[in-house]
Amino acid sequence: MSRRFLALHLPDLATARIRRAEPDLPEAPLATWETSGSRRLLAAVDAAAAAIGLAPGQALADAQAIAPNLLLRPADREGDARALHGLALWARRYTPLAALDPPEGLILDITGCDHLWGGEAALLGDALDRLRRNGLSVQGAIAGAAATAAALARARADAPIAVSGIEAALAAPLPLGPALRLGAAELEALARLGLRRVGDLLDQPRGPLARRFGKALLDALDAVTGRRPHSIQPVQPPPELSETLDLLEPLITRPAIEAALDRLLAGLCTKLRLAGLGARRLALLAWRVDGAVQEVAIGTGQPNRTPAHLKRLFAEGLGRLEPDLGFERMALEARATDRMETGAQVSLGLGARRDMAALAELLDRLGQRLRVRRVAPVASHWPERSVSALDPQAVPPPPPPGWAHPGQPVLRLRRPKPLEVVALLPDAPPASLRWQGRSQRVLAAEGPLRLEPEWWRAQGREVAGAERRDAYRVELPCGTRLLVCRGGASGWRLHGHLP
Amino acid sequence: MQPPPPLPAPPDSAPLDQPTVLAALRARVARLEGVGRARHGTDPIPVAEGIPLPGGGLARAAMHEVAAVSPGAAAAFCAVLLARSGGTVLWIAAGGSEGLQAWPPGLARCGLSPANLVLVRAERWADALWAMEEALRCPAVTGALLVAEDTARLDLTATRRLQLAAETGGALGLVLRRDAPNPDPSAAASHWRVGPLPSGGAGHGLADPRWQLELLRARGGRPGGPWAVTWRASSGTLDLEEAEAPVVETRRARRGR
Repeated sequence: MSRRFLALHLPDLATARIRRAEPDLPEAPLATWETSGSRRLLAAVDAAAAAIGLAPGQALADAQAIAPNLLLRPADREGDARALHGLALWARRYTPLAALDPPEGLILDITGCDHLWGGEAALLGDALDRLRRNGLSVQGAIAGAAATAAALARARADAPIAVSGIEAALAAPLPLGPALRLGAAELEALARLGLRRVGDLLDQPRGPLARRFGKALLDALDAVTGRRPHSIQPVQPPPELSETLDLLEPLITRPAIEAALDRLLAGLCTKLRLAGLGARRLALLAWRVDGAVQEVAIGTGQPNRTPAHLKRLFAEGLGRLEPDLGFERMALEARATDRMETGAQVSLGLGARRDMAALAELLDRLGQRLRVRRVAPVASHWPERSVSALDPQAVPPPPPPGWAHPGQPVLRLRRPKPLEVVALLPDAPPASLRWQGRSQRVLAAEGPLRLEPEWWRAQGREVAGAERRDAYRVELPCGTRLLVCRGGASGWRLHGHLP
Repeated sequence: MQPPPPLPAPPDSAPLDQPTVLAALRARVARLEGVGRARHGTDPIPVAEGIPLPGGGLARAAMHEVAAVSPGAAAAFCAVLLARSGGTVLWIAAGGSEGLQAWPPGLARCGLSPANLVLVRAERWADALWAMEEALRCPAVTGALLVAEDTARLDLTATRRLQLAAETGGALGLVLRRDAPNPDPSAAASHWRVGPLPSGGAGHGLADPRWQLELLRARGGRPGGPWAVTWRASSGTLDLEEAEAPVVETRRARRGR
């Protein structure tokens, strides 16, 4: 089956954004400018400015001489790119494969998607309508190759829909500038040779063209004639499974959104069950009426397809959605899935397996709101390094020998606290210390256990807070047992509580 | 729910077997109260040989409170009980508890292996309570500990919720809080007070730790103690000392003054 591509060309995205941000701008030509070296050039112009002969790349001074009433704003390339990316996300309502065609185009792979909208013409019309209603001027085209569609969209304003297989014939009458997106210097060189349209280039022998203008021109030419179809890079990889919901009335309230989520989850979980899969990462996408797309993503530790559990995980994220004027379309995508045993096997499984699933679900729920971790024992004598955090769903390795030696406290202070300690000699064990507001004699002190930092890890720099220290386990007359350490510069510190 | 088993025959047909009757009645009451609905073991968790407790130990599917006289002894006591619950255990700590964190190597000394331990940190007290409730509700969790901040409010409603959650899931719930003279009313099944005792070691070397346990309140039982116990990490047992503990200062003694 041949692929079908829809290209959208948004020539005044930059200026439309400015008009949108400043609604009370007067009716006058609008342009953005940027500096190139020491020159100030126009970066983008709107339709009114283009009508009086202004074009991107023109010197700012010339433009102001031509149109004294020209409104000027500094160009914001990054903002434009973000806006285009946002539009690409929005365009995923038509197809999961939406790609950027910078600086001002989008390419959608609509293969097999058009029937959902009642044909290609209806789809194209819907897309153009919605964008125009939002104040963007847009041209579109549908063709059998991505570059051909893009060239048609740029060069023709009549929204053509071309059948596949005649790309070369379609491209032939198009002017070179918009069709191949060539620079001014190249265009001029070609024009001097009398080459103004794509068809003129197609008639030329390829060898001399390549020698004169380089491989890039031939690549562009091959792409636009469909001889070498190039793949598009979607803004987001297509989901493995997805479920969408189009809404007649925009959703604004939380209960309405939750009800929509319920329906999406029920549908997606059925698809997952039929495919024998469980979701690992899910994203809820919500298209707002004004074209913004919002996303809430969750992850699970074990593949899961229980709607109730997945809904609980979304509970936190739904609060971050900003419906504003309402959501008109919602989609639930399974971004990552894993194989999962089918229902019969699970229900016949032993209690232990059901418990495992229950634990995984509990840890998912807790992990959405809190810091949940397991601990992996690490073979290290340096206390701060003898434990490392693990994912809660991971299985910790067995402890190395000597890991839980008798001198370990049950509670450690995250930041050791200075302690007033009296020792009879500089290197002697503590004789008394100040605890709970009064000085207490030390009944027994075990130690010292001299700890040296792991110098082989430091790699020439001091490890933060790592300093040689002598650890003592002390017991006070009331029976309280503490782990106190003497550091070189930091003095005595309380490190933990012993059982 | 299964129908309750028939009671033993009336006394005129055979001599009354009092222990059997009592055991059957206890089982029936326990079923009525919904204790022990969990899939895993329902036998109570033994504390120490010789300490009289209703049912022979700490009931599972219930919430117990431990008041800490000193953090180390009480945390170790809780770790021992959690380890004896025999499955996955959640250690839930709320935000600013003095920057004290559970130290897995030390907990492993108390029998709580890192393979069974999940640590949870909550910034807010409300989150910690929520996590505790969710954990207790889960049938795959055999024990959960909530370390309460000093300023945390743990009132009757909160403890009752935790108690109900524990009855649903069947886990052993423990709340570790600092010992206060006038604790909030609580719906916990039992209320303990754990403090350290001098171990008797002198000079160099510490002997096995000794703790003073006090059962301040128990549902279906009498308060008891104080008992002096010694924790033997090598054998994993709490040994009750025969002699009456050298009472440091119990709450009842204080109240009696």
